[in-house]
Amino acid sequence: MEFIKADNVRFAYEPAEGELPREVLHGVSLEIKKGEFVALLGHNGCGKSTMAKLFNGMLLPTEGKVTVEGMDTADEETIYEVRRRVGLVQQNPDNQLVASIVEEDVAFGPENLGIEPKEIRRRVDEALKAVDMYEYRENAPYKLSGGQKQRVAIAGIIAMEPDCIVLDEPTAMLDPRGRDEVMETIHKLNREKGITIILITHYMDEAVQAGRVIVMDEGNILTEGTPREVFSQVELLKQHHLDVPQATELAYRLRSYGCGIPDGILNEEECVGALYALIRKE
Amino acid sequence: MLSDITLGQYFPGRSILHRLDPRVKMVLVLAAIVLIFTAFNFASMGLVVALVIAGMLLSGVPVKMYLKSMKAILFIVAFTSILNLFYGTGEPIFQWGFMQITMNGVYRCIFIAIRITALILCSSILTFTTSPTQLTDAMERLMKPLKLFRVPVHDIAMIMTIALRFVPTLLEETDKIMSAQKARGADMESGGLMQRIKSLIPILIPLFVSAFRRAYDLAMAMECRCYNSRMTPTKMKQLHMAGRDAVAIVVVLVVIAGVVVGDIFLPSLA
Ligand SMILES: Nc1ncnc2c1ncn2[C@@H]1O[C@H](COP(=O)(O)OP(=O)(O)OP(=O)(O)O)[C@@H](O)[C@H]1O
Ligand SMILES: [Mg+2]
Repeated sequence: MEFIKADNVRFAYEPAEGELPREVLHGVSLEIKKGEFVALLGHNGCGKSTMAKLFNGMLLPTEGKVTVEGMDTADEETIYEVRRRVGLVQQNPDNQLVASIVEEDVAFGPENLGIEPKEIRRRVDEALKAVDMYEYRENAPYKLSGGQKQRVAIAGIIAMEPDCIVLDEPTAMLDPRGRDEVMETIHKLNREKGITIILITHYMDEAVQAGRVIVMDEGNILTEGTPREVFSQVELLKQHHLDVPQATELAYRLRSYGCGIPDGILNEEECVGALYALIRKE
Repeated sequence: MLSDITLGQYFPGRSILHRLDPRVKMVLVLAAIVLIFTAFNFASMGLVVALVIAGMLLSGVPVKMYLKSMKAILFIVAFTSILNLFYGTGEPIFQWGFMQITMNGVYRCIFIAIRITALILCSSILTFTTSPTQLTDAMERLMKPLKLFRVPVHDIAMIMTIALRFVPTLLEETDKIMSAQKARGADMESGGLMQRIKSLIPILIPLFVSAFRRAYDLAMAMECRCYNSRMTPTKMKQLHMAGRDAVAIVVVLVVIAGVVVGDIFLPSLA
């Protein structure tokens, strides 16, 4: 059974005074299965962050509905159960940390859930180890690097033992090293703990690593499928001003000059392999 | 740099003061601060000063940090104590025009300097050895009786936690904005008072805008983590009193007794 299900979801933000409401999502339907690693792509303002907040009931659909394991996010009775299961990590790590000590921040979620102190301690230690920040447990967050702060934010979600983590451009404010750290952590959580990951990103090389890619455009779903399926539709993506991975782009251009390079190249290795094969043939 | 300010900072550690129950620590520090202002002769004051110095040494935080925390208020100490020098009563020992210095004024000057210094050191001992969360946690427990009068104790504690958490972040941000405005040619170091106050506007406005955005994000993040002000959450770190807390209480009680005895039997100097 699907874990998260959005059924024909429409959404409009509360309009400013004297303005008409403008619909941001125009009937989005999608399903996320347990244990999946999904990348959500789309250009600026197409409604990705809005979608992320709909997944854990931070926003409620104006029409249609979102369910998490059968629980409607609009149901006030189960909203905390939904938020425990679906954690949300935002872009700016600085604005997500509540406490002045790393381990106390990680404990914030479980404390709100009313869990026993001993159990909280266990979860906090485990979560910090899972993101490789255990030795920083007594530090102040403002002394950490961006990547480290973002990992602490992720630990804060893991400590609630969620089934799914939605990450809204978690690497946008990080340097390349911080990005690698965070991406590695996300993949590890998906692989080892079976946590479902929904990753919103502008980096195509991050999207390529996902199991499934969903592309949004102006409040609709444009296309979805495995990274290979999605990124072989270079023309469609280009029409909607969307990026493709660099290697895919190169292969696409070579092909348009009449080079016999195959379709569906995703990364440098594959590109190099294809080019090498091509040169040998000639 | 604004971030050089050590006042109100926490230094993680394992010293006996770090391990004291924060409730006990808070009450004892308050008691010490009251003592500082009720010691009226050198013997009593000496006792309090000895207590403060003992606290500093036991905290395991380098003395340098305490001196740094003093730096910011050195001017206030100098200013108030010099002012007090001229406000003494009794026989003048030195006179120059309408200004006169009496023995009482000299004592006042010394006492006020010691008092302010000890006050800052005392609060530094507390904040250096107690994490902000422990601090607000202790406050929450100590204020619990106020719940009967419908004071939103838990909310107040949460507000304190967040405020303390964002002090360094906002200081860092102020630094950044100041550099950014200087890079655009803003002049903050010259001109009269009005001019300088005006030059603060281009710093304060971006700071406020960003603070509001941060507040919005943070509220969102807290809700995502199931925060609900109507529920009473559990705490990872339970507060327990131990033998060391009893010892600390006894030590402070002895000092209180000493100060009271000193105040009764020795002449009051200031
Ligand atoms: N709080 C809000 N109130 C009103 N309109 C909003 C609000 N937040 C977003 N919008 C609008 O909704 C639309 C979708 O925004 P959203 O933040 O979901 O886009 P996004 O895909 O996350 O973009 P980005 O890639 O820039 O993060 C945008 O047109 C935006 O202007
Ligand atoms: Mg967004």
